Amino acid sequence: MSLLDKRVIFVTGKGGTGKTTVAVALGLWAARNGRSTLLVECQGARHIAPLFRQASSGYTPAPLHPGLAAMSISAQEAIEDYVVQQIKVRRLYSLVFKNRVMGPFMDAVPGLHNAVHLGKIYDLSLEENSAGDPIWDLIIVDAPATGHGLHMLASAGSMMELTRAGPVYEGVKKVHELISDPSQTGLVLTCLPEELPVNETIALYTQLRKANHDVSAVVLNETIHMDLPDSASWSQIRPSIAAHPNQSISGLAELTDRWLGQLRHQREARLKLKAVIDATVLDLPMLADRRVGFSELEQLSEILAQHLSTP
Amino acid sequence: MNAKILVCCGSGGVGKTTTSAAMAIKAAMDGARVVVLTIDPAHRLADCLKIQSIEGAPTEVPLPGAIGFCDAVMLNIEETFAGLIRSFSTTPARAEAILANRYFQFSATRLGGVHEFMAAEKLRELATCGRYDLVVVDTPPSRHALDFLKAPDRIAQLMDGGVMRWMAMPATRSGWRALELGSEAVVKVLGKVVGRETIAEIAQFFELFRELWDGFLERSLDVQKLLRANTTRFYLISSPAPTARAEALFFLEELNKFSMPFGGFVINRVQLPLEGTADIAQLLAMIPGLDADVARQLTAMARKQTQVAERHQASIKSLRSAGPQDSRHWAVPDLGRPIDTLNDLLAISKHLPRPD
Repeated sequence: MSLLDKRVIFVTGKGGTGKTTVAVALGLWAARNGRSTLLVECQGARHIAPLFRQASSGYTPAPLHPGLAAMSISAQEAIEDYVVQQIKVRRLYSLVFKNRVMGPFMDAVPGLHNAVHLGKIYDLSLEENSAGDPIWDLIIVDAPATGHGLHMLASAGSMMELTRAGPVYEGVKKVHELISDPSQTGLVLTCLPEELPVNETIALYTQLRKANHDVSAVVLNETIHMDLPDSASWSQIRPSIAAHPNQSISGLAELTDRWLGQLRHQREARLKLKAVIDATVLDLPMLADRRVGFSELEQLSEILAQHLSTP
Repeated sequence: MNAKILVCCGSGGVGKTTTSAAMAIKAAMDGARVVVLTIDPAHRLADCLKIQSIEGAPTEVPLPGAIGFCDAVMLNIEETFAGLIRSFSTTPARAEAILANRYFQFSATRLGGVHEFMAAEKLRELATCGRYDLVVVDTPPSRHALDFLKAPDRIAQLMDGGVMRWMAMPATRSGWRALELGSEAVVKVLGKVVGRETIAEIAQFFELFRELWDGFLERSLDVQKLLRANTTRFYLISSPAPTARAEALFFLEELNKFSMPFGGFVINRVQLPLEGTADIAQLLAMIPGLDADVARQLTAMARKQTQVAERHQASIKSLRSAGPQDSRHWAVPDLGRPIDTLNDLLAISKHLPRPD
């Protein structure tokens, strides 16, 4: 089964490892393959639309590119949405929730912020057009980082435990079933080819597997692509470089050592990850210190397609 | 005398954990009694310091040759919350009743606001216990770290606002009726949203919790005072990446909003330019026996290094120009390897802020 046949894909991983970029690249790939795709940002983040030089539309899906739309969920809007669905009367919502004392109370309900995110994603997955076809074939969620991402994925289950029975229980149960069904919901983890991020990813992967989630792929960002001398020829020539009277040349010795070292660390980290993770591990060449433009996103999406299209 | 507090904030992956560990270790080497607190859910600090488990209790980091010492603490939310409840309950039996409440068990492990409040409480405990001169705090990625700042205000609001007292009223009809106008509708709506049973359990929890309010409120105000003390500094940790820079500036605004004392920017993993301005290709061509391919590779590497270093300098400049006029900054050069030894931590600490 191809990743693109899922209904929902969550992209999560350590902070700063390229979750948003990978989510968008996945979206471009899905859209190219005829999937009507929605990108969802969480907790009010609005990083995606600017990548397409557009203003963010916030809580309503807005088209970004042929076959691709984006929206941003904030807990506040999702809670309002959910409450109004439950009680049917918006006026009552205002009466209760715009009340000064109620805001803190809603904050105190465990997991509610995360659960309403999932609830909204579930609702979106069921939206149909007038012909009765789903509006979104695929929803890609740019989820919060590691620990918070795990909490979000588990939040519907937590609400089930808390409520135990009744209409709320029935509601979150459906959401939980979608999220924890590996045939419908997939996960893509982002990581850097470095020791600490790899350790964190392995821990995350283990916890996700324990909760029966299907991790479809791990994307390693910022893999160094530098054409360097091989270590044999380098060790031969290094002494004459290091001893060179011009400091522009002698400085190259340490610089080359450092980059060769980086490459070696990346290789080791990658091997460690591959030894544990039973999923596609792929590299994306990305420059962390530059903004990614549209043409780069397209290139990244093609690399993802190459590695992930075969089941 | 309370300990000084250094807080490291910033977006994910910019090296907050490493930065806080390096600052803490350096201060300990120089003679301070230090503790470094991580509230990050991932166990990165332990990873970085090669400590197996630092959950809950302070563990001393082995530091050969240190004049002072450095403890490391991983926040344990349940334990901190339980400690607070035990210290404010009138009897041990009441404390145990709260700890056994199902809602407590949920909120202690899963509730965002509680997590951040407990971090603040742990910070207060460490800063006021008398054992330390300096507390270095590592925070979770920035948007959540904001909750860490908001926690005391939020809890104060929660305690102060009617809702706690309101929830704690006996959940009988007469109890509810005693409430202000519209409360029937409120209870009905809440019941529909989170379930009536849940409401009843939360109400029971708050009923038990009532006697702890004043203690909690007092604590949260103490924490606010500590965070705004003139010996506290917030450092914004960033990297040359544009996204990290944007997050740092977003965070700076929030610090100002909360009137938290800003110490400056720390920019990690900066690539430095090569020394000298010579024509590298030309000089390499004159080295006897140097393979043409190797010469080409080295020239390309040097050119790339120059480009990256220029981008990094521009990034630092733009970060500084967006900060307050006299803001300080520390640029930490990239060591080109994972920083996981004491020597590496000490090496980068040379480029980091020191407690005044």
